[in-house]
Amino acid sequence: MKRLMNFLFLSCIKASELIEKKLDYKLNAKEKIQLFLHTKMCDVCNSYQKQSEQLDLTLRKHITSYQEDKKDPKPELTEDFKKSMVEKLKDH
Amino acid sequence: MGDKSSTKNEITINSIVKAYADDLFRWAYYRTTDRENAEDLVQETFIAAMKSLHKFQNQSKIKTWLFSILNNKIVDFHRKRYRDSTYNQTQLSNDPDSRMLVEQLFDSHGNWKQNKADHSLDDVEENLLDDEEFGVVFQACLEDLPDKWFSVIQLKYLIEKKSEEICQELGITPSNYWQLLHRSKLLLRECLKKMWFDEKN
Repeated sequence: MKRLMNFLFLSCIKASELIEKKLDYKLNAKEKIQLFLHTKMCDVCNSYQKQSEQLDLTLRKHITSYQEDKKDPKPELTEDFKKSMVEKLKDH
Repeated sequence: MGDKSSTKNEITINSIVKAYADDLFRWAYYRTTDRENAEDLVQETFIAAMKSLHKFQNQSKIKTWLFSILNNKIVDFHRKRYRDSTYNQTQLSNDPDSRMLVEQLFDSHGNWKQNKADHSLDDVEENLLDDEEFGVVFQACLEDLPDKWFSVIQLKYLIEKKSEEICQELGITPSNYWQLLHRSKLLLRECLKKMWFDEKN
């Protein structure tokens, strides 16, 4: 019985790692059962799963589109830097 | 004749730098979080672009083209930074940032210390659509990640690449890779909770 329990039940850290794995790789049959049972019983991991999927979308959107902080724009290139870059580019 | 074409060339270089350098710089800045690196990457982008600029008739596509060169340079930068970092071959269990995070969130059996589900982050994506300020907070939380984790995140999302390819480029195993993503997302999630959702409520 103990062996069966160990086989079937995951710790939350393992379960949440499988949730990450699932986004990029296929889970094997054992992992699928383990994760299914775990998220049925564990509210926190169940909610982590939704949040992790949302974070995945948010990360993709942010990294492929974020342009600037309108309230606090980061410094731009100096005119000197641009001038020296143009000089270097002429040689190419 | 030679003089005339070099002047023309100069005008083209000048106008392209003037038109795109600042946008490219800002883009690189947010994806490397370092002024000097961003400057280098922008310069390398223009150098690479100059080599085939003559093939470019369609001015309207120059911007997209420059950004795609830059994105590849940013990916190279992160790959190199990851590979050069000190503990890159060791297990994540030796990574002090990961150890600290795991101890903070999980008990000794590996179960969540906080045993009630927190739904404040369930709609994080909708927030990004609605709110400009959310982008600022999200960026700040990303920049708070340890350098190595930030690099893996940039590699994964900036250019669509297969995970097998990313693992190969970083010299890590698949399990190491999803564990890194797992830790990065846990830390991002904690930061967003504190900086965005708790502040708002």
